[in-house]
Amino acid sequence: MTSDALYHEALLRLARDAAGAARLEAPDASAARDNPLCGDDVTFDVRVRGGRVLAVGYRVRGCVLCQAASAVLAGVAAGRDRAELARARAAVAALLGASGPVPGPPWEELAVFLPVRAVPSRHACVLLPFDALGDALARAAG
Amino acid sequence: MRRELLARLLAEIAANRPAVVVTTLATGESRLVDPFAPAPGEDPAVAAAARDAASRDESTKLETPAGTLFLHVHNPQVRVVIVGAVHIAQPLVRMVRLAGYEPVVVDPRRAFATEARFEGVTLVREWPDEALARLGLGRRTAVVTMTHDPKIDDPALAAALRSEAFYVGALGSKKTQAARRERLARLGFPEADLARIHGPVGLPIGARSTGEIAVSILAQLVAALRAPAPAERKQA
Repeated sequence: MTSDALYHEALLRLARDAAGAARLEAPDASAARDNPLCGDDVTFDVRVRGGRVLAVGYRVRGCVLCQAASAVLAGVAAGRDRAELARARAAVAALLGASGPVPGPPWEELAVFLPVRAVPSRHACVLLPFDALGDALARAAG
Repeated sequence: MRRELLARLLAEIAANRPAVVVTTLATGESRLVDPFAPAPGEDPAVAAAARDAASRDESTKLETPAGTLFLHVHNPQVRVVIVGAVHIAQPLVRMVRLAGYEPVVVDPRRAFATEARFEGVTLVREWPDEALARLGLGRRTAVVTMTHDPKIDDPALAAALRSEAFYVGALGSKKTQAARRERLARLGFPEADLARIHGPVGLPIGARSTGEIAVSILAQLVAALRAPAPAERKQA
């Protein structure tokens, strides 16, 4: 697949949003995940109340896909609990694995990652932010 | 040298800042001068001579109406920042050490930046924008990019061009250099800045193996370090 097809305009716009991302002051927890082979590196900060995300902050370095996924996730995370996020992560993995449909609201923006289905080596880039946020929530709960 | 002066000199050395100890030969009195930021009241002839000596990395004597001064240059060790824990970096870090400089390898990819591949080398497993800002690039720093990944190489080159690094090199063919120049130009770097980048990196000696390429890069780097100052070159 050409990079033009993979990095379509919506993804590039999301990646630009990620460049301007801010960390959280005094988060309840933070967690970082990286991809040892490509260097993608994302840190999520989270503030929680009653088991639900109150606010997130993040910092991401790496490829367009990882940046875009971080931006999508940060845009939808508020109000979600751990279970919802785990289901969203599973839905993205299924969407990438060619078996899953486009998730329903509020996760429908994840459809931007449909072209990534054809490039298995890049799936981990899209999932990395979900894992980082998942770790942060687990830490906040623990 | 008085103890207090020695303490201040050691502090400058520890902070990786250049220092020149100016001694009046007739009396043995010494004082410390920052060659690139002399005190406002400093004798202009001494300030100029200190700056010149530090730039040339050469201690020197200065004749003044008040007598002969000796300017002893204490420069920080040359540091070579290599962006990319790649094959060519392996012989290069050893050669950098043998040349008497300090190698630092920057690469956010944990699989590449391993102790096993780079034993005993300072490894910074971070993205270059953050890593180079923390390392601080100065007059005695060289930067060479080697990952062939624009996501990693471009920010490193941008940081290097914004600094006073004495040598900036980029691995890559003529074709990739052209594309890179265009990307950096779009970031706002003028032609004069882009001309600082040695790319394809290394002296054109027909190097083929990783070891030979490392020799060609190190030779070009040393030539840049020891090049006469622009004013001297104009006279010659």
